[in-house]
Amino acid sequence: MKKILYGIMYSFKEIKNSKIFYSFLIFALILVSGSYFVSQTSFINQGRIMVDFSIFAISIFNIFIGIFIGASAVYDDIEKKSIFLSITRPLKRTEYLIGRFLGLAAAIIFSTIIMMLIFYLVLLIMHKFIVPAGSIAKAAGSGVKPAGVSSATFTFYLLPQPLIIQGLFIIIESIFISAAALLFSLITSKALASVFAILVFFIGNVSSRMNDLVRPVKKIINGKVVIVHQANHVLAHIVRFIYTVLPNFSIFNISSEAAYKVNIASDVIFYRIVYGICYTALLFIISSLIFQRKDIG
Amino acid sequence: MIEIKNAAKYFRVGFFGTKKNAVEDLSLDIEEGKVTGFFGPNGAGKSTTIKMIVGLIKPSGGNIKINGYDASDYRARLKLGYLPENPSFPRGLKGIEIINYYSKLLNKKINKDEIDDTLKLAGIFYAKNIQAHKYSKGMTQRLALAVSILGDPEILIFDEPLSGLDPIGRKEFKDIIFKLKERKKTIFFSSHVLADSKELCDRIAVLVNGRLIKNENLEDMENEAAGYAEERRDYRLPAEYSTPLEIYLYDLMLKSRKN
Repeated sequence: MKKILYGIMYSFKEIKNSKIFYSFLIFALILVSGSYFVSQTSFINQGRIMVDFSIFAISIFNIFIGIFIGASAVYDDIEKKSIFLSITRPLKRTEYLIGRFLGLAAAIIFSTIIMMLIFYLVLLIMHKFIVPAGSIAKAAGSGVKPAGVSSATFTFYLLPQPLIIQGLFIIIESIFISAAALLFSLITSKALASVFAILVFFIGNVSSRMNDLVRPVKKIINGKVVIVHQANHVLAHIVRFIYTVLPNFSIFNISSEAAYKVNIASDVIFYRIVYGICYTALLFIISSLIFQRKDIG
Repeated sequence: MIEIKNAAKYFRVGFFGTKKNAVEDLSLDIEEGKVTGFFGPNGAGKSTTIKMIVGLIKPSGGNIKINGYDASDYRARLKLGYLPENPSFPRGLKGIEIINYYSKLLNKKINKDEIDDTLKLAGIFYAKNIQAHKYSKGMTQRLALAVSILGDPEILIFDEPLSGLDPIGRKEFKDIIFKLKERKKTIFFSSHVLADSKELCDRIAVLVNGRLIKNENLEDMENEAAGYAEERRDYRLPAEYSTPLEIYLYDLMLKSRKN
């Protein structure tokens, strides 16, 4: 356990110092900070545009971090031979892989928190989309002053619940896709692993919509349910197979709810988190089995 | 200590996955407290054998045991230090951070003084606060050596430890190996530089085309080499080699080579 913990810390430090991580982080921060200027292109719903744009930037750059660093974390170690000194220590290969993967997960959490903090600051400055969490008296004994007197109280503002949940979902989604990238990088090259991971992400985002499209369209005519349109059977089966086998990433996108401040029910949050964690664990177990049998040389 | 029994390794190459033997039927015992040199031309299978010993690759046949444990078992590496050929470290981390990390992977507690002593022995203490990607090849090699000897392991396996080093670096590196030899460490190192044989080794193993063609004590090998040199007196000797042992090893490799 201690070895895994040191592995996570070492991996996190290494990723934190990598150029690719910094580049994505800085890009995302520029976009989030610039979301105000983008929102100025519209006369209405400026707050919503800011939120949409920022959430998109945070999400896409974390996905990029997950894919590109996930595909290179172990692959580069093998290519550059830096793995030789690690796994020839009294360390199980699984422990090494867990350390690398959780280090990457820590880096994703770190980057998401930084991005969300900047996003929060932008919203705070613009005074849009934030909700008061409560207020405290400025000085002891000043509780006698009437509430709402701004000079006497500090009002705390928080991000609304759906935005916080969206941040959490971005973390889960990015770790999830990084597990896929890690798995692909163990069986193919780094470039191909990145391409495959992007494809999985893309298909995972559209598969539920595709599945809806190939479902038979039914209508009630004269009290009977009648199929008025049926997609090609082969195509419908293929789409259903892809929908069943590949992860459904669209469940982690709640930007519409976030933009309209619609609270997400706790059971929905729970099931989606469990779905993400279980799928990630499955991908990691497959990676671990492949890694244990892999010749490293 | 290290027992290799009928170890073999093949790789699949090309589009159709044709089998290519890297090591064939290799049996070798590495004796405790001795320095064993593993010589052979480029592509002989030395690095593949070493990678099988340290558990990086799995043998296609036969078995390798270290202190009674299979080489793929992590317990086999409890008392083992390995220095790979052309080692490298991740970007952005300082020498001290790297060695601190590796010290935590050992099954015993290593204190700061031990780390400093190891860095001093490897001759890289002065650069411990510099990021490892800014190191020269010699410095990287020294840091990797420090990592491999950290925790005072009983068995040390060095893959081409002197390759790519300048003459001063080679001399200093050899001195370190001498110090480790004095401490009665079991050292197994590969090299294709025959001049290293007499200086460093107690025992010499020669591998050509994946087959072990010699595995003898230095004294026996020197006696054979002296006899061979007597027989060969009328031939022109290669200018690069001066001692009978070097000439003997050179001819042995040359004759056994397929191509």
